[in-house]
Order: sequence, then structure tokens, then C-alpha cells
Amino acid sequence: MSSKKELFKYILSRLFLLPIMLWIISSLVFILLRIAPGDPVDAILGTRANEFARETLRIKLGLDKPLINQYFEYLNNLLHGDLGMSLNTQEPVKVIISKALPASIELAICAILVASIIGYSIGFLGAVKPEGKIDLFGRIFGIGTYALPPFWAAMLTQIIFAVLLGWFPIGGRYPPGMSSPPLVTGFLLFDSILNTNIHMVYGTFIHLILPSLTLGILLSGIFSRTIRLNLEEILSKDYIEAAKSRGIKESRIFLKHALPNTLLPILTITGLTASSLIGGALLIEITFSWPGIALGLQEAINQRDYPVVQGIVVIISSLVVILSIAIDIAIAYIDPRVSY
Amino acid sequence: MLKRKNLKILLKTLGVFLISFQLSCAQQRQRENIIVASAGKIESLDPAQANTLRTLQLLSALGDTLYKINKEGNLYPVLAKDLPKVSKNGLFLDIPLRENILFHDGTIFNAKAMEFSLRRFMKIGTLNYLLNEKIEDVEIKDEFIIRIKLKKPSNSIKSLLTSINLTPVSPNSYINYKEKFNNKEFVGTGPYILESFDTNQQTIRSFNNYWGKKPLNKGIDYINLSNSSTLFGALRTKEVDVLISNSIDDMQRVALNNMVNQDKLNSGEGNPIEIGFITFKSNKLPLNNNIIREALSYSIDRELISQQVSFGTREPLRSIVPPQFHKNQFAPWPTYKPNLARTLLKREGYCKTKILTIPLTFRSNVPADKLLALTWKDQIKRDLSDCIKITLNGIESTTVYKQLPEGAFEAVILDWTGAYPDPEAYLTPLLSCSEIENNTCLKGEAVFSGSFWANNKVQELLDISEELEGENRLQSLKEVEYYASKGNAYLPVWLVKPKAWSLKNISKPEFSTNGLIILKNLKRN
Repeated sequence: MSSKKELFKYILSRLFLLPIMLWIISSLVFILLRIAPGDPVDAILGTRANEFARETLRIKLGLDKPLINQYFEYLNNLLHGDLGMSLNTQEPVKVIISKALPASIELAICAILVASIIGYSIGFLGAVKPEGKIDLFGRIFGIGTYALPPFWAAMLTQIIFAVLLGWFPIGGRYPPGMSSPPLVTGFLLFDSILNTNIHMVYGTFIHLILPSLTLGILLSGIFSRTIRLNLEEILSKDYIEAAKSRGIKESRIFLKHALPNTLLPILTITGLTASSLIGGALLIEITFSWPGIALGLQEAINQRDYPVVQGIVVIISSLVVILSIAIDIAIAYIDPRVSY
Repeated sequence: MLKRKNLKILLKTLGVFLISFQLSCAQQRQRENIIVASAGKIESLDPAQANTLRTLQLLSALGDTLYKINKEGNLYPVLAKDLPKVSKNGLFLDIPLRENILFHDGTIFNAKAMEFSLRRFMKIGTLNYLLNEKIEDVEIKDEFIIRIKLKKPSNSIKSLLTSINLTPVSPNSYINYKEKFNNKEFVGTGPYILESFDTNQQTIRSFNNYWGKKPLNKGIDYINLSNSSTLFGALRTKEVDVLISNSIDDMQRVALNNMVNQDKLNSGEGNPIEIGFITFKSNKLPLNNNIIREALSYSIDRELISQQVSFGTREPLRSIVPPQFHKNQFAPWPTYKPNLARTLLKREGYCKTKILTIPLTFRSNVPADKLLALTWKDQIKRDLSDCIKITLNGIESTTVYKQLPEGAFEAVILDWTGAYPDPEAYLTPLLSCSEIENNTCLKGEAVFSGSFWANNKVQELLDISEELEGENRLQSLKEVEYYASKGNAYLPVWLVKPKAWSLKNISKPEFSTNGLIILKNLKRN
């Protein structure tokens, strides 16, 4: 009961800190963007526009106001849930994020799924037979995937599986020439299923395979090393020795005694990976032309589209904080020894 | 038993795969539209907002312009019925409009619609300064005659009217978008109608009530991919039918050209509209000395740079206006003469003990710029290492544009595409200046271009050319270029031709004079 109370207190404190953290992050982004060289007016008009045109646009975009006024206006809007309008397209930032974020999350979920299946299987099998062939392969695989530059790996998989073998499409989120299904959740695969559009389900699924496999394999190295090392440590514990001496089958020891005790690091590493992927996997998104949030952020930074950059950073930060709270709660439930 | 179970699983898996491949085949068979791929997203289809080549490309299929320019460089009417009638004082342009033209929403195109579109662009267009500098007002003279009142006589206005940014939109459909952008819809008069819009993919289909020559295809799926490798791969794997060259890396251009030579692809090329050049800051030491700038002009081996950077796909250039606008050969900038460069530098006290150091800035996000900078640096090291040393500095393009008018760069690699097909669209943005002091521009375009170079004679000729027509105007603009070449504040390097590649079962892409593919001429063989 007391641990539950502690957890409740902890969650409350984290939730209380959330707005403060968001305020700090949004203020930092606001300041850094204004300090950075470059001007949204240049990005929109080019350098040739005359001073009158530049000034007119500056007024229209509200960039003529003193910086402090812009800052308070931005904070006020943020408090009211208004992320503003894109300077470039005059489209609400909320709409831009609602289109790009599900794409990144869809890719992240599939990549984590792939990483978990491959990584944890290799790690587990390696720990079952230490120094065996699988273990050796697992180590090389772990180091190799961790060391591979993501853009290079992505280009390589693209060349082999899309260009040379032609097994998968080269990029994009759905087949060219097919219009996207009506967006309900923003997750195209899910929306296509909801629409019972079999061609679209196939199209979105096949487009999802290569980027999520690439990203998943790149992440699986960390996963396999984590489970392998934790299992190794757990297998040397006294209670495992005791179980062995009682004559319990080795497979049972692994599955019933050792594996549940590795859940904590598994959950932590999976959670951390998920948090990092919420902001999108920029290099994968660029290589596979995946219209996710990271690609959107990169384009917004290039165009000095202040509201879009600010909006994306605030939303991603909030999601990361919420996800980390969820992971903390899950860990507390799984392991009652954890105190906050 | 176990084997039987395994066999069942195997058969089921095979079944799933077969269904998948069937679906994929069905999808291939269903492809009626031609898939055209280009780099980058299309955020807005509003002609008042459009400023990227890919957006203009799509808009050129959805809308018409009042005029177009033919291969001979002459204006011809499209939505206009005839060439504009210019008043004696040169301040009024009366444009008769074609009748019986319908917008995609079924409403009639007339002078009211044209006035609405021009006014809308002048009010909210991101490039509205191009029009506002020249146009005083737009009036309806008759149901099918529109009158443009100019601030001062201007001949370049005619070329400006060929800009796709000024394509008419239906007042009926844009009633709520008079003062704001309509990003996801387009209702114009063009040969295609917009079927669906997404920032990464747009579908257009043939407009049945189109007044002119109907498209040779049923529709176009215009897709936008984020990088050159993906675009290249998409054409190689036949995922797309046509690939447009914007943002295709030079290596991949060469690979595509090789495939054309092996008869695996078709290709089409348009007139060059993009020029690449180096700007020298002419108002500060050491480049305020024209002899040093002249020496630098002699020092560049354009042929070598073109070969090293682009395998010859970027044509060496010795003028700041693409050649098709000159009508005949005109290249006033000097050719590569390293010995002459050395002689000039020696005269200025360099080469013996003193080496001229030039910090050359390139846009780090433009691969060709970086290669140009590296190649020129090495070429100078090879030819003139005793006289010149080039140091490199890569800066992201948005920062470069911001700092250009602040005079932050001694020498910087840039490119320029004219907003409309006219020499003036290349000369004015680089050379025009409204306040000149000792050949230094204090206020005007030359400041924004980062050269700060100005010349009273150049300004005078630019002003005069606005009132001239035909060959006289061309001659006057050539003279402007001649003076600019003597000023050596810009060093033209290369020309970039728009190019497109198509699969063998698709017709060869054709280009209009403004460097855009004529999408309606694409057909499946």
C-alpha cells in the first residue's frame, strides 16, 4: 500500500513538473530559433524581395513585434492549446503534426516489434548456450548493428531489396497512384483495415516492411546485448543454482525463473527506444521518403518555420515525458521492490 | 503427422504470398495514370504561394497563363485572344481574353476572374513584389478585356504575364480565399483537374471541358520523394514512369543518361533556366580591386569543373543570362587563362612573396556547390599556387541568404533561376541598384545578391531597356551584361538544364520554354 502511495506521489510530482519542463523546453526552442542565423522571410520570399515586400510579410507573420511580445503571445497560445500557424503554408501546426506524427509512431511500433523479436531471440538463445555459435553470432550481430551508420544501412537495404531484388517498394508510405484512405487514426495500415481496402492494406504493409526492418535490425543489437548480459548475470544467481540443484529442468529454469527477472531491463530499454523513436528516425525517414515527424522537423528548421519547429518539439517532449511516466508505472507494478 | 502439419503451414504461407503477388500484379495492371516523380513535398497548390519548381510544374498542368513564350523567344497568347495592346504613353496594357473558357468548377473565365486572380496575387502572393513594382492597378475594361495600368512603361511585364504564378483561379471557388491561401485545392482553367491532394502525392485527371488540346493521358499521379537515391531507384524499379531532374545528384544523372544510351530509358531536355555563379564582394579589400577580380575571372577552368563535378552534364557558362535568351552566341566573360591571371596579380603585388587568400563560401546543403568549391580550390592549387590560395567555408543555405546583404562573404557560390523567361529576370536581380556611390551599391538588388557592385551606366541601360522592344531591347540588355562582365563582380560557372527520364513504354518528355515538362503530352505507348 505504501509503495502504491509512493508511486502515486511520484506520478503526481512528475505530472506537476511536466508543465515546468515544457515551459523550459519551449522557451529554449523559442530563444534558440531566434538566435540561429536565417530568417523565415528569406525562406519564403527568397533574397530578392524588396524591403517593402519583406516588411509587409514580416508584419503579416507577426515577426515585426518585439521579441518579448512574440514570446508571451506564443506562451499564451500554448496555454490555450494553440500551437499557431505555419509561417510557410499558413496551415495550423496541429494539423501538420497530426499528419506526420502517426507516420513516425507507426514506423516506430513496427521497428520495435522487429527489434524485440530479433534482438531478444538472439540474446536469449545466446544466453542459453554461452560461447556457442548463436552466442558468438549474437555478439558480432550486436556490435555490428550498433556500429552501422543508419543512413548507410538504409541505403544498402534499399539497393539490395528494392532496386536489385525488387521485393519491396523503394520508399514512400503507400503505393504511387493510390489515394490514401480517409484518415481516422492517421496510422495508414490501421485506417486501411478499417476501410476494408485490401489493396491499400497490402500497399501500406509492403511499404512499411523495409524501413521498419532496417530500423528494427539496427535497434535489435542493443536489445540482444541487453537481454544476453542480464540473463548471464541472473543465471549466476544463487536461486538459479538452487533450482538447478533441485533438479528442475533447464528450460523451466530459463522460462520460469530467469526470464521474468530480465523483464525490468527489457522494459526499460524498450521504453527508452520507444521514447527516442517518437521524435522520428530522421535518417531512415529521409532515406525511405517516410513522411514522418523528423522529416517534417528537418524541413521546418530549414525553412525557419518557427511555429512548426516549436510545436513539434513541445509535442514530442510531452509524449516522451508521458511515455517515461508510463514506463515507471509499469516497472513499479512488475517489481514491487522498486521505490520512488 | 508433424510433416503434414508443416506442409499445411508451408502451403498457407505460400497462399498468402501468392495472394500478395496477385494483388501486386493487379495493381500494376490497373495503372492507368502516368506516375511522375520529383523531389520534395508540395505544401501548397495556391499559385499565390507557389515558389518551388515542383509546385510550378504541377500548377502548369492545372492552370493556364495569359501568354506563353515560344521556342523563338516570342510571346504568344494562350488565355489571351491576342497580344497586349500598349497605350501610346506605355502605361496601359489592354489584354483581350478568349471566350468560352470554363473553370474546373464550371464557371466562366472572363475579365472579372482575371482581375480577381491578379488582385489576389498582388495582395497575398509571396512573390507579389514582382508585380507590385510594375503594376499600379488592374481594371475590367469589358467582359473579356482586362486593362493593366503600369507605374512606368515596362516591357518585361509581358514576360511576367507568362508566369504560372499568375494563372487565373475561379472567383467562385476562391471566394473565401481572397486574402488567404488555399493550399489543398486548385480550381483553374488548365487541361487537368485536381483529383486528390496530399503533400507527398497529388493526382490530376484530364479535364473534359478543357478548351484547348486535350491531354494524351488519362491522368497523372505526381509523387514527391525526399532524396535523389530513392528517386533514382524508383525509376530503375519502374515504380514510377517519369522522373524529373530537380535534386537528382550528378552521379545519378550520369547513370540515367547511360541507361538512355543503352536504350533502356527515354529522356527529354529543356532550355536551361538555372545558372550557377560565384559572387565577389566588391566593396571591401582585397576584392574591391577590379584587377584582382578580373584575375580570378581568368583563373577558373570551367570545362574541368564541369567534367569533375557533373561529368559534363552542367554546361560551362560565360554569361549571366541563359543562352536561349540571347538568340545568338554571346559570352562576354573571359575564358580560362591562368597565365594572364598571374600577370594581373603580379601587377598588383601578388605572387612573389604575397599570396592572395580568398575565403570561398559554399552552401553545405547543396552537393554540387561543395564539389565546385573543392574542384576550383584544387585547380587553383595546380595552376596558380604561387599567387592564390582558396580557403573553404560551408554554410547552410538559409544562413547564407540571410547574411548575403550583410556583406558576410568575400566569395560565395550561388545559383539563380529567373522568375519568368526573360533576360531581365536574370540581370535585374543581380545588377539593379537604386543608390550608387563610387561603383558601390548602397541600396538595391546588388546588395541582396552580396556583390555590392553597381554601375551608373548599367542602371541607365536597365531603365532604358524597359521602354525598348525587340532587338533594341535585347541589344541594350546585352550591353548591360558586357558592363557586368567588365565589373567582374560575378563569375558565371555553369548552366543547369532541366531534364526528365521516362520508361520506354512512355513517350519522351517534352519541355516548355520555362523549363517545365508538358505533362499533357506524356502518353503510354
